[in-house]
Amino acid sequence: MVLLNFTLSEEGVAVLHDALACIYKFSDDVCMEARKDKLTLTALNISKSAYVCFTFASNRFFSRYKFEGSAQYRERFFCQLYIRSLISVFRVRQGGDPTARDRDPTIERCDVAIDDGPGKKSRLVARIAYRNGITASHSLPFEVKAPTYAKFNKSEAGNRWAIASRTLRQLMDHFGPGIELLDINSDDEACIMNFTCFTEKVTKRGANSNEAVLKKPLHTNIAVDMEEFDDIQVQDKLHIIISVKDFRAILQHAQTTSGELSSCYSEPGRPMKLSYGGDGVLYEFILMTIGEKDASAQKHKSSRSAAQKATRPELEAASRRSSSVANANPNQAQAPPPAVTGDQQQAQDAFRKPSTQRTQIRSRQPRFEIRPSPMPPPATDRSESLFVNQADDDRLWEPVNPDADEEEDLDNGRLEWHTATGSEPPDFRISSFLPPQVEPQSAAPDRAPDEELPDRIPAGLEPTQRLSQVRRFGLFSP
Amino acid sequence: MRFKADLRNIRTFSKLTAALNSLEKIAWLRLDDDTVRFTVIPATGSQVWASLSIDLIFENYTLQSADQNNTINLELPLGPLQRALKSALNSTQANLRLTKRDGVPMLSMTIHTMTKDTSNTSNHPNPNHDRFGGYGNNEPDFGEDFNQESLELTMKREREKVITQDIPVRVLHPNSVETIMQPKVREPDVHIQLPPLLQLKAISDRFTKLATTTTSSIRGTSNPKLELSANMHGSLRLRLATESLDIQSVWDNLENPELEEAQLAMPLNEHPSTKFKEAGPDKWATVRVDGKDWSRVLSVGRLEGRVIGCFADDHALILYVFVPHFDGSSAEDVVTYYVSSYCM
Repeated sequence: MVLLNFTLSEEGVAVLHDALACIYKFSDDVCMEARKDKLTLTALNISKSAYVCFTFASNRFFSRYKFEGSAQYRERFFCQLYIRSLISVFRVRQGGDPTARDRDPTIERCDVAIDDGPGKKSRLVARIAYRNGITASHSLPFEVKAPTYAKFNKSEAGNRWAIASRTLRQLMDHFGPGIELLDINSDDEACIMNFTCFTEKVTKRGANSNEAVLKKPLHTNIAVDMEEFDDIQVQDKLHIIISVKDFRAILQHAQTTSGELSSCYSEPGRPMKLSYGGDGVLYEFILMTIGEKDASAQKHKSSRSAAQKATRPELEAASRRSSSVANANPNQAQAPPPAVTGDQQQAQDAFRKPSTQRTQIRSRQPRFEIRPSPMPPPATDRSESLFVNQADDDRLWEPVNPDADEEEDLDNGRLEWHTATGSEPPDFRISSFLPPQVEPQSAAPDRAPDEELPDRIPAGLEPTQRLSQVRRFGLFSP
Repeated sequence: MRFKADLRNIRTFSKLTAALNSLEKIAWLRLDDDTVRFTVIPATGSQVWASLSIDLIFENYTLQSADQNNTINLELPLGPLQRALKSALNSTQANLRLTKRDGVPMLSMTIHTMTKDTSNTSNHPNPNHDRFGGYGNNEPDFGEDFNQESLELTMKREREKVITQDIPVRVLHPNSVETIMQPKVREPDVHIQLPPLLQLKAISDRFTKLATTTTSSIRGTSNPKLELSANMHGSLRLRLATESLDIQSVWDNLENPELEEAQLAMPLNEHPSTKFKEAGPDKWATVRVDGKDWSRVLSVGRLEGRVIGCFADDHALILYVFVPHFDGSSAEDVVTYYVSSYCM
């Protein structure tokens, strides 16, 4: 039976798509949890150091929202989905000519239904109606799995600030590649907040080797006047360190909303919460900060692997067992974490192995990849794009790389050639794509000629064997 | 040892850095009282000597060194420098100084900059999104916007940000660099102003690619070689000859600049270029260059300066790239490329 049913406008689809694209930077899967008043998407990254929770208000975000519930799922329904397939479903098509309605490929509306129950296939069905009259239906399998919650104790987090997310996002542009950690600290005297990006990686390896010194990435510090922050209350000289990659992923998404990004945290080694709001949506992230102990350990330990492992304590996540308890009492998930000292915390972390989760996710992938090929993962492209964009013009000056993918480069080159002289390129393109005619005969040693043949054989090729000769193999009916 | 200077013409500096960076990751920077010199000498490939007058990229320049000639020699990674300069592109003020952090020498760039006004553009991404939603498109190009709107600093609380970019460097002892000399090349047979480099680069790159596709069976033996010729009658010829194809592009009506006799070591009428000129348009001076290396060399086109190619037939090719000053003066600095060339 249908448990959940909601409709999204074109804009809603776009917002959902962006949200999923953001979560995808943290995890391959997303947990969807539906209640009467809200739909929640949550994800925890593999190293359990970052947790994402997006809450969509049922009455504001959706054009229609109906949670039916069932005997099994009275209060809430939850499932886990593979993000890549979701992203390709909720992709917004490029708008065409708005005057020609029948050719407008933009989305008019999107109906999503979740079907589950005894004897039924568990499916999320998304029916997307385009303005050109086409309706596409996608049916995605899901796994019933209770969401994990990361704990964050707001009363403990005495430090907080808020700033326009776009301002912060622009500042990120100044950080170069190769950095891993972001240190956020304040200086009351100068009345500034510092955002410092650095890495600990190369220094360890090249302490004595002079060459390595020059391979260190840029060390960047950005000082922002405290006046630019809203609601700022931070302990002087407190250094809080998080992963740059996570922070970038968050800002990349935060800038699409017009609002402010607020942050609150307590002390190193304890979680930090970042949040911002959209129209009817609340975006929350809980990141584990690097404890001072870890940071100093990183500096002094010579073993690289140890440093990598010890990067960050994991978030305290309610385990699956406890979340099924939370099923009965949802509020329990938000309960303050038990007080643990730093040492105990570390010891706990040492025993908690993320490997089980990792293998789970890996082993599940093939099943999904049988599906019609989804969109290529945008994650790498996009996370890089937080750097200052190279102007397109700049790319033309990059050295030729003949080994690179020809298609794109040819296109670029051709465009310039056109504008520069206005003359027609003499069939470069075609000739370079045609298979070189001489090749089969010239017996290129590394390629068996037979492999190529089937494509090139004209229809009227002469038979090489008599049918009677092959009949005995039973290939043809007598 | 002290060095401090304010940056100027950051765009030019940044483009020069990018051009050098495409040849080699680390440069030798030599600072003295009159010039700032960048030198890159790749293990294989073309080398560059860029001697710039100080006021091309610096002002309020202070330099102090124990060395008797008052010079500082640094080994400088170009990638981080380029990144730092990118940060400084739209700055209100930026300076560079030699300092130490944790005992490690650094070139520290301090940049005063503003972020874009956030109040009246905050809705910007959404319209974009609706029209061009989908992968890769729902991301506005902030580089562009930044340029256009950096003057709109009207937001009430918009404050200046101070960005510090620390570039790791290595200080070189004068003894270790004094043996590195600028190459000496005989008087060229032909000197000619090259066509727009973007055009030349597009065609050269195409030839290089064609060469790799047509010789795929013997791939990996060596990079394709292009044949570059010029005469004293305004023509430049780019040719690719492999077993299976022979193509060439010819530019005509280029300029062969007049030589100033005063600066020559010999009378003008004894200069090789005079002989080449007298021999007529069929007398070509030819060198062979590595296609990939040549492409990296042509990356200097982004400086948008005039480029003179000096051809010593079957021997060497030198490019003089003239970098114009943008302060209205007619002064020019020269970046010299010694293009690695191969025997015929």
